Amino acid sequence: MKVKITPLRILMYIILIFLAFGYLLPIWSAITTSTKTGEQVALTTPIQLILPPYFGAYKIAFENLKRPIINSLIFTTLATIFSTVLGSLAGFTLAKLMRGSVSKKLLILITFGVFLPYQSILIPLVRLISSLGLYNTIPGLVLTHTAYGIPITTLLFTNYYYEIPDELVEAAKVDGASAAGIYTKIILPLSMPAFVVTAIYQFTSIWNDYLFGVVLTRGEEAMPATVMLANLKGSFVANWNVQMAGALIVALPTLIIMIALGKYLIRGYTSGAIKG
Amino acid sequence: MRKSPDLPYILLFLGPALILVGIFVYVAVLWNIYISLTDWRGLLPSYRFVGLLQYKQLFHDPVFWTSLKNNILLLLLFVPGSILMGLLLAIMLDRKIKFEGGFRTIYTLPFALSFVVTATLWAWMYDPSSGVLNTLFEKLHLEFLESRWITDPNIAMYCIIIALIWQFSGYTMIIYLAGIRSIPIDHYEAAVIDGASTWQVYRYVVIPQLVKPTLSAFVVLMVFSLKAFDFIWVLTRGGPGTSTFILAIQMYKETFAKTNFAYGAAIATILLLMALAVVLPYLYWSYRGEKE
Repeated sequence: MKVKITPLRILMYIILIFLAFGYLLPIWSAITTSTKTGEQVALTTPIQLILPPYFGAYKIAFENLKRPIINSLIFTTLATIFSTVLGSLAGFTLAKLMRGSVSKKLLILITFGVFLPYQSILIPLVRLISSLGLYNTIPGLVLTHTAYGIPITTLLFTNYYYEIPDELVEAAKVDGASAAGIYTKIILPLSMPAFVVTAIYQFTSIWNDYLFGVVLTRGEEAMPATVMLANLKGSFVANWNVQMAGALIVALPTLIIMIALGKYLIRGYTSGAIKG
Repeated sequence: MRKSPDLPYILLFLGPALILVGIFVYVAVLWNIYISLTDWRGLLPSYRFVGLLQYKQLFHDPVFWTSLKNNILLLLLFVPGSILMGLLLAIMLDRKIKFEGGFRTIYTLPFALSFVVTATLWAWMYDPSSGVLNTLFEKLHLEFLESRWITDPNIAMYCIIIALIWQFSGYTMIIYLAGIRSIPIDHYEAAVIDGASTWQVYRYVVIPQLVKPTLSAFVVLMVFSLKAFDFIWVLTRGGPGTSTFILAIQMYKETFAKTNFAYGAAIATILLLMALAVVLPYLYWSYRGEKE
């Protein structure tokens, strides 16, 4: 379709390009700063790119972040799997096995957890995890992230399963299939898009979490990458180039997901909001 | 409930989710409220029931009012700021812009980052001595724009709000783009055939259809603004002084720095009440339409 060039359109492009610079500025200056020596950081402006790049800051940042990144990869992957599977099972039950107002009420009860300000459960959470002997452990983080992931995964899956026609389930029931059979033979194969969206959403939010990590860990054994990055920022040893390198390393998994699988991540974020 | 052959499966499939949510959300919330009614302090397990004493002290605590004021500032500036920015971006991108995908990716990149990452990036932006903004203004001979940013207690909170709008407007933009694009094309065509101007199309066709996404975005951002802990904590630790305290920061400091558990629990309960005031009407509204 041909679009007429009007002064308004030109103004729109100017605003969009100006804003794009503004949105990129913090990320761009992180890239340029992270590839400089400490001396270059002091002598050049933050937006100036120095070539050839210097990777020493990345080395220092990575040495500090290695263990926490491995921790984060482990507990994020496990909690993503558990919360996604439990959300799918709960969603299937609420949307297809149960009917009417009980199912609706249970869904609201579970969904409220999406909006819960985590501060209001923080003290009991630390007590609970400590008394289970899971303080400062990977299983403690897995359990916590699984539990607080269930409200959103259940919401996403229930909404998805509402769209699958009831007739499919009824027909299978007439043929004598059990609920487990219906789930594995009919629902699961149809659920792959929902699994992708939910798992990506969960991986990103668990990887990005800081609050649970900082109150449930101490020392390196289980510390998440975000907590270590915040420590790096607070320590006097770290210079701006090391801090920026650290920030970009910790941001890498979610940035890759956003650029490569952005539409799935976005579907996770919007499906709750558009459907209400 | 009538007996059904599905009952064992209902228990098996829904049980784990209900138990985990029951303990980690509902039991934990009640437990927190109970703690807020005791005098539990320090590491001593003194659980004496003192009624509303912590709340009374809280209402006489000037830091509480600073935190509350900053929470309200976030509510009044960050929430509408992100919504308006997202709406503006969505409307512009919807008008057949070249490289729309590229622009969209740029505006949504900040949203994929964690708060710790964005706080680290913005600490460098706002660094008063050699940071990005001050150096840039100096080079452009705009020295009058240089500032102490997050180290100036008078403007630190506004610096935080700008950075948060930077991070969240991509989210509202996506919600609005999806909302605008779900409007059936014949609604537009009908309006144009009736001789509506562009402005009228937006006023009478597009905007009325965006009520639902706007409400959802409002609720998400408002709840977030109550607990915007990670970003502020990592960027300023609530400082300088207590100038960037919000309730979530005050709660964290009281609980984990001063081990004043009962007092921290009282702040946490106030946060919960504020979230409920936003969320309960929203949940009622959004599920009302679906009742059979």
